[in-house]
Amino acid sequence: MKTILDNIGVITARVLNQLRRDRRFVAISILFPLIIIYFIKIVFDVLAPPSFNISQYVVPYAAFIVHFITFILTAIVLVRERVAGTMAQMFVVGYKQIEIIIGYLLAYTVLATVQSLLVLLELNWLFDLGFSSAQFASMYLVMWLLAVISMAIGMLVSNFARNEGQVFPFIPLVILSVILSGIIVPVEKLPDWAQILSYLTPLYYANEVLQELLKGGTLLDDWLMFAILPIYGLVVVGIASISLREKD
Amino acid sequence: MNETASIVIQNLDKFFGKQKALKNVNLSITKGQIYGLLGPNGAGKTTLIRCLIGATKPTKGNLSVLGFNPISQKSKVRGLIGYMPQSPALYEDLTAFENIRFFSFPNRKDNFAKRINEVIEFVGLTKRAHDQVYKFSGGMKQRVSLACALVHHPKILLLDEPTTGIDPKLRESFWHHFRDLTQQGVTILVSTHQMSEAMFCDRLAIMHEGILLADEPPRQLLWKQQAKIKIRKDNKVGEKVVSHYPEQLPKLLQKFGLDASINRIEIEEETLEQVVLEMIHTHEKEINSGDNS
Repeated sequence: MKTILDNIGVITARVLNQLRRDRRFVAISILFPLIIIYFIKIVFDVLAPPSFNISQYVVPYAAFIVHFITFILTAIVLVRERVAGTMAQMFVVGYKQIEIIIGYLLAYTVLATVQSLLVLLELNWLFDLGFSSAQFASMYLVMWLLAVISMAIGMLVSNFARNEGQVFPFIPLVILSVILSGIIVPVEKLPDWAQILSYLTPLYYANEVLQELLKGGTLLDDWLMFAILPIYGLVVVGIASISLREKD
Repeated sequence: MNETASIVIQNLDKFFGKQKALKNVNLSITKGQIYGLLGPNGAGKTTLIRCLIGATKPTKGNLSVLGFNPISQKSKVRGLIGYMPQSPALYEDLTAFENIRFFSFPNRKDNFAKRINEVIEFVGLTKRAHDQVYKFSGGMKQRVSLACALVHHPKILLLDEPTTGIDPKLRESFWHHFRDLTQQGVTILVSTHQMSEAMFCDRLAIMHEGILLADEPPRQLLWKQQAKIKIRKDNKVGEKVVSHYPEQLPKLLQKFGLDASINRIEIEEETLEQVVLEMIHTHEKEINSGDNS
């Protein structure tokens, strides 16, 4: 067990060390969501009527942006490792699948923690949403969980791509999840078969919990939806670990 | 298994779809030997090495590395081997020291940091140890990659073209070090394109299109060479091509009775490169004639 923890620690430290030196990657990960949210503010200022409940939409939109950017960057970084041969070399020297996945997840979680916090602070300030500290902390937890799940999905997808270009066919699936999650139209309005697909996207559960919080509720009010998020993350991490390929 | 054999390969096949990368390969590598894999690109050298490190699953056949199966007993094998890939697999934004530390961490032993510095010194990178790898030339990256394979004192070294891009002086020092390692019982399997390096090996396998064409000491391979004998008697020049010339040459000269008027004998030997190329060409002709028939 100590060996596993030591190896996870070394992988995490190595990825954080690389992130520290890759300022462009860190800047893209953190600044892009903030810039997109700024433009969403401009769109809402122009299009939304005065009586429109902005928070009902902008908070889930922000959650989607974090979900999308985190997913795509994680997938590309891991595919890059595969192309460079460093992933194969990690296996050859004795690192195990679960150590690699968790090592990466812990390192990128540091990035997701900062990213989710800045996104929520920007939302609160830009749209003057006036969240209470309890509301803010709960929303932060949901958004953070979603970011971590997005990374795990990115890792899973990277296992099925031989180069960066092969990540792109997966992007429409993530975009489709906006419609399936109920952010734009209520899930009940979707065809029955599409409603089943909604349950496959983590954005659906995050949106359900966020809507409850925006109405003034707590995480316990919709505890089942909230509990599904970490379970969803664990399942994806498990599948990503099992499917992490070493052989040709 | 032969007790002195570190690596045993029996009836090994590896197919990638319809492409046959290895066809019925059999070989045994003795402990403490430098075993060379020689052949053109696509011969199957890298695939063979990747089968031995457990990164590629053979389609058929048996493999044994120090008595373990590299596929089913991967974790036991990996602590005992050092592998250097053909293209350096390194993190460009990490330093040489950080790369070596990361890629040898799971197999670390006592005095880990001291050992890393030792191998860095051996590959001649002490002054650049804390520079990021993206600033390095191709040859320097090769040296970092070799250092990664050496840190944990492996019992078997699998080196895929280790001296590509390395200057001749450092290459010579690498080979001296490889020889020293074999004195300590380390077995080395090295693939190479360089014929001059092949002569440093105790035994050579010539590979072409996944098939093992020869498995012999390099000196024995050279005996297969043809020699062109030119004999000048008075003002006439006679030429004869002989095979296995170390045995045939004396017989040939006896026919001439070593006449006093024979004042000059020139022998133009084929190089090892020509011997290997000849074997490959013959194999290609066999394949083509097989296709046509």
